[in-house]
Amino acid sequence: MSDKSQPSFNWKIAGEAGHGVMLASKLMAKAAKRHGMKSFNYLEYPSLIRGGHQTGQVYADFKNASCQHRELDLIVIYTQEGFKIHEDEMTAETVIIYNSDFGELEAEHTEKWGDQVVELPLSTWAKETAGTSLAANVVSLGASAYVLGMDLDIFKEMIADEFAARPKLIDKNKAALDKGYKGAEEKTDVLMEVNAQEDDMILLNGNEAVGMGAIAAGIQYYSAYPMTPATGLLHFMNEHKHEYPMVVKQVEDEIGAINEAIGASIAGVRAATGSSGGGFALMVEAVSFAGTAEVPLVILEAQRTGPASGVPTWTAQADLQFVLTAGHGDFPRVILTPGTVEEHFELGKKAFYLAEKYQLPVIILSDKYILESHQTMTTPDSVHENERQSMITDAKELPSDGSYLRYKDTENGITKRSIPGQEWGTHLANSYEHDEWGFATEEAEVINQAVEKRARKMEAIMEEIPQPQLLGPESADVTFVGWGSTVNVLMEAINQAPEGSVNAIHIPCMYPFPAEAFAKLAEKAKKLVMVEGNANAQAANWIRQQTCIEMDDTLLRYDGRPFYAEDLIEYATKK
Amino acid sequence: MPKITKQNIKSPIKPTWCAGCGNFGILRALYAALEELELNRADVVTSYGVGCCDNGADFSANYAIHGLHGRSVPPTIGVKLANHELKVISVSGDGGQYGEGLNHLMFAARGNHNITMLVHNNNRYSLTTGQASPTTPKGTKTKTTPEGLIEEPFNPLHTALSAHASFVARGYANDFKQLKEIIKSAITHRGFALVDILQACVTFNKDYDFKWYKDHVEHLSEDHDSSDWNQAIEVATKPAGKLFTGVYYQDEDRPAYHESLDVLNEKPLVKQWQAERDISPVIKHYA
Repeated sequence: MSDKSQPSFNWKIAGEAGHGVMLASKLMAKAAKRHGMKSFNYLEYPSLIRGGHQTGQVYADFKNASCQHRELDLIVIYTQEGFKIHEDEMTAETVIIYNSDFGELEAEHTEKWGDQVVELPLSTWAKETAGTSLAANVVSLGASAYVLGMDLDIFKEMIADEFAARPKLIDKNKAALDKGYKGAEEKTDVLMEVNAQEDDMILLNGNEAVGMGAIAAGIQYYSAYPMTPATGLLHFMNEHKHEYPMVVKQVEDEIGAINEAIGASIAGVRAATGSSGGGFALMVEAVSFAGTAEVPLVILEAQRTGPASGVPTWTAQADLQFVLTAGHGDFPRVILTPGTVEEHFELGKKAFYLAEKYQLPVIILSDKYILESHQTMTTPDSVHENERQSMITDAKELPSDGSYLRYKDTENGITKRSIPGQEWGTHLANSYEHDEWGFATEEAEVINQAVEKRARKMEAIMEEIPQPQLLGPESADVTFVGWGSTVNVLMEAINQAPEGSVNAIHIPCMYPFPAEAFAKLAEKAKKLVMVEGNANAQAANWIRQQTCIEMDDTLLRYDGRPFYAEDLIEYATKK
Repeated sequence: MPKITKQNIKSPIKPTWCAGCGNFGILRALYAALEELELNRADVVTSYGVGCCDNGADFSANYAIHGLHGRSVPPTIGVKLANHELKVISVSGDGGQYGEGLNHLMFAARGNHNITMLVHNNNRYSLTTGQASPTTPKGTKTKTTPEGLIEEPFNPLHTALSAHASFVARGYANDFKQLKEIIKSAITHRGFALVDILQACVTFNKDYDFKWYKDHVEHLSEDHDSSDWNQAIEVATKPAGKLFTGVYYQDEDRPAYHESLDVLNEKPLVKQWQAERDISPVIKHYA
């Protein structure tokens, strides 16, 4: 870690809300990317607007950087409590930049850390160069660039891009970078050298990736109510909507959000909504509605620590059993569980295709950990082609004898749908059980036919869902099993663990569950260990239900924090 | 496809309402209004909630959504924004709309979404056999209020007016001519329209029978100025006595929600589907 030629680093910034910690952290990850490094930016912040303790940390490496690391090469600390809070992450090699404008360091810190501490008046320098102490975060980036042996010009170019909308601030911030760099140069040594290579990547978080996927899929309507950590997707949609024929709407409540999206979908546009556990809970009756009326709908369920209001700005994977069964009654749905940011883009796009083709709700079940963390991915293609699915695109297809039936029973359960405005396509999209026209029914035979028609769709869906993946060597002492964001940690565990000790199975789709494919991968495992962020081993139970496969062990965490590769490796290699 | 007529709008299913139900009168007036407006049957979308009146979803044959209880409004907003060339109607009852779905009504009014709300108001939850509803008078004894209803009745006209509704009217199920004209005005109105339609429930509301309505319902005075919001509030909040029917208030100048979205200036959203999406404007943000 402290080897000067080793091209990887783990950096952290810690301060109060209002100090620009989150922006600085994202910019560090971006700077690393522009050096050609892969990077991962992980944020921890309290549910506060000011005060509290906020951190951002960036792990960067030329080969693999899929998740956060524990031990730090360099940390920038604003408020002194940071020394105690991050004690376990600082080693005898960690360089600690302390913003001396925040007061004289207490003896216990100077005694413990000695000359590892580099005191720099970041806020004073910020005022001198940029005219405001708020730019201390940019000064700290300059100082960090020096210590990490990075190219300051790359940071300057990035700052210019960041403040492109407010050009008056560019020169001031460049000056802040310079001051931080030179100031650090006078006080301390370079830890390593990062030589820039080609950068063919983008850096974004899970929310932005889902949004980009939705736009690539042709989304035209997004309605939502603000709720952490799904709000990022609502903001993304509003930022980019002007480039596309889209309507984005903030609504009165989550029930309005999902029902509006259902209306828009019925009227023929690709529509979606999003929320977190508590908001999704309010939407659930409407999920059942979309299921029975066969309305294409995409829903982002952004998990956070629950239950109820829970711990709003922290992560969890504890809604799985809820979402698997969400919506009373029997109806088909798809639950996608993307892991990497790249997979959030791919499945964010695919969700719309699946929803429209199979005319049902598709839930993208993710979590704060990956939705709000930035991760590099290879720049995707610019142009995406989409074809309308299971839909009558030319009204002339509709017979003018009025015989069209929206819910006509078919072999694969899917009936091409008409949309309002099309002559001779009139039908009723009904939340009651209904016949082939859509009229409500109480007849046993008609009910059976309707239930079975919808259920039949699952057969065809099985062929199109993303399959579980085996990561790492074919054989290993321990096979970790994860779903959703856990894969980011599993990949790193495989990278860092002794050869042959660890491999992993990642599950990007939980419903329908690809039982056969999973069993094929699991049967080769010597020891199956489920890794998931909830107290009840929800995925382990679901997998057992679907495959009869029992996990040999479970690693659970439900404290709002993500898993660490270091801990998984320790587990896998203990004797 | 031919224009709507009172005949071709009917589905093969005969209405299942009790003999004498006010819903028959309302439906008659609605069908007549749709015919007189010369609308194409493919261009009208009706959204229903859950209740007796909402079973009307089975009796008409245009594009329709039979949604969840209290939730007839949100789908109409989505439909209208997806395709603002459609005429969008919300059918609901006093229970679903002024209880379960009140929030949606207020936001639809605030935004002036161009939807027509026809609230069938018999001051009972009839489909679930007679419980008190938000508009049931104080003191009424029902299965769920055996000691007499404690709450004051909700005033939908006042609430709609204070939520910036640009068209507020009250009708009566058995006044065919007036109700038909009110419905026509509501549908052609530029923005949000609420029509609160009084009706008897012959099965669960014996107190408020036809005789009662005959004695208490009166047309708004000829001098009523429907462009005067304050006057509308005054009439809407008169102490209990006569129930006035007619258009209380109409603002013809306020633009509908969708008229404020540049993206909808030339074409409806649904006609702007892009078979090819270029995401480079998004990509460059994250480079």
